[in-house]
Amino acid sequence: MNLPSVNVLIQVAIVGLLTGGVYALMAAGLTLVFGVMRVINIAHGAFLVFSAYLSYWLFTGYGLDPFLSMIITVPLLFIIGLTFQQFMLSRLRNEPGLVVLVTFSLALTLEGLMGTIFESTGRSIRTSYTSEVLQLPLGDLTLRLPFVRLAGFVAAVIALYLLYLLLTRSDLGRAIRATIQNRDAAQLVGVNIARVQALTFGLGLGSVAAGGAIFSLIWTFNAASHEEWISKMLSVIVLGGMGSLPGAFIAALIMGVAESLASVTMTAYISPIVFYLILFLTLIFRPQGLMGTVIRKG
Amino acid sequence: MRRLIRWWPLPALILLLIFPWVYRQPYYHVLGFNVLLFATMAVSWNIMGGYTGYKSLGHSAFFGLGAYLVAIAANELGWNPLWSAPIMALVVTVVAMVLGWIMLRTTGSAFVIATIAMLLIFRLLANNLRGITKGAPGLSQPLPPWTPEFSRMPFFYYMLFWLIIALLVSAYIRRSRFGLGLLAIRDDEGKAEMVGVNTTLYKVLAFGASAYFVAVGGGIWSYHATHISPIFAFDIIVGVEMILVTMLGGLGTLWGPVLGAFIYIPAADFILFQFGSSTAHLIILGGLMILILLFLPQGILPTISEWLEKRRTPRAAHTGARSMAEMQTPSGGPEPDTPDTYVSAVKQETS
Repeated sequence: MNLPSVNVLIQVAIVGLLTGGVYALMAAGLTLVFGVMRVINIAHGAFLVFSAYLSYWLFTGYGLDPFLSMIITVPLLFIIGLTFQQFMLSRLRNEPGLVVLVTFSLALTLEGLMGTIFESTGRSIRTSYTSEVLQLPLGDLTLRLPFVRLAGFVAAVIALYLLYLLLTRSDLGRAIRATIQNRDAAQLVGVNIARVQALTFGLGLGSVAAGGAIFSLIWTFNAASHEEWISKMLSVIVLGGMGSLPGAFIAALIMGVAESLASVTMTAYISPIVFYLILFLTLIFRPQGLMGTVIRKG
Repeated sequence: MRRLIRWWPLPALILLLIFPWVYRQPYYHVLGFNVLLFATMAVSWNIMGGYTGYKSLGHSAFFGLGAYLVAIAANELGWNPLWSAPIMALVVTVVAMVLGWIMLRTTGSAFVIATIAMLLIFRLLANNLRGITKGAPGLSQPLPPWTPEFSRMPFFYYMLFWLIIALLVSAYIRRSRFGLGLLAIRDDEGKAEMVGVNTTLYKVLAFGASAYFVAVGGGIWSYHATHISPIFAFDIIVGVEMILVTMLGGLGTLWGPVLGAFIYIPAADFILFQFGSSTAHLIILGGLMILILLFLPQGILPTISEWLEKRRTPRAAHTGARSMAEMQTPSGGPEPDTPDTYVSAVKQETS
């Protein structure tokens, strides 16, 4: 193995950091839903790819820029999430094990639907700015930053900040945080748990729609991609501590950098193993993650 | 009459034995083989997922591992897959027990995630350890020696043999003290621990047992398919189908997984044949599974037996008097199925 130079490593690490920001937005909804409902939405990855397809369709069909298409996709996915929780998952409230299986089945169904509509060829969005690279002089080395990743990072951080404001400043946010802390106590002081759960599921899918728009600009995807991405997002939220939004943000940055560095030091094919190993080791040796609580039975 | 009904597996077995001679086209032999393969693997998965309550989504890791070990042994050492499959499955069981010992530190959703991660790690390794696995294009192995027109029939009978073994093991576990401990773990792990069940040991053993027949199935499948590749050997769908089949028939019952396989596999094959695309197959598979989970979460067999029970004692079923009586005298009546009865049964046996 020949190690790349320090300059290359710094360059790669910074690109990894930018990528990590996008991962954070993609995984935010997953950790939020887990926090409130104690269930894992395996279909989160499928909804990511689904919203990426929506952005792709709006771009190729109507020339709408993916960053702008969020205006349509975010509310749409919010409503889908709300409906899904209200009419399907709420039936299984007391059995998180079944919910995992149901959301997994939903992921398969979505994969089948997307595969039927869009076929299995990989898609990606190529805009006028896709291949632009910013040159940033920094001391004696020049950083080369792909514009899409930088813009994606900025958009993701803005979206996450808005989500954070919603959680800390609004009544709904207070209700959500109260439910995360202690569901029974929240119910006792008058929080409508069913409503909070439905809205949280909506927010979860809304945030993944924003992530999916950025995702469609950076990566190539097809209907089956969701399997790989749900594993990455699960690694992020497990490392961050399930249910913790700040934890997910830090974990996403760490994962982004780790993956980026692994891809230049190992062969590119095996670099995803970094994710799975981190996931595996965290679950086993620090199940509470960086900033979460221990996942209890269920 | 009821005694006679207890012997129903015998005519069923005879029907299965003559099936390949009645339907002589290879298509039916392959379909029959697939039904028996998934029935065997579902019976195996059920030992962990049904009896112990830990639902693994990554069991296709053991399927793929069995398939690869058998194919490699056939190519490198010239071992015949028919007898190397059960031996290689022992290796897989050891691997499963070591991994299980690590993974079973988690419970519930975290366990499910850990099993998915395990599967993905194996698939990644199969794709990338090119020296051993030949990478993504996959491995071929020698064809079976018998004449082509009978090529599928021996597989059918061999798989039937393994289904019977798996059922005997599953039935034995279910009736043993070990099985009682597993059911107690499923219902309340803390209490099971308290009454003296070595939960870690029991779970690891159950995980190993549930990997064994899946690996045997993988090994035989690998010979049947003659060419294997990571996408098919380590396909998460195979593991999902084991769960679907088990839950359709009846989670945690002896015959449920078999019934589920006999219903689902031919139906899935018919759908694939009708629509001819794997994406349509996914829609049906996912949709069907959602429907089962939402509306028939117990599966066919428990639903039927509950219905029969209600019919037999119409008044008692309404008042619940009969079930109360059963709880006080665990020796009488059918199987206990309220949570604490397994735990108290263990307590009685140990004290």
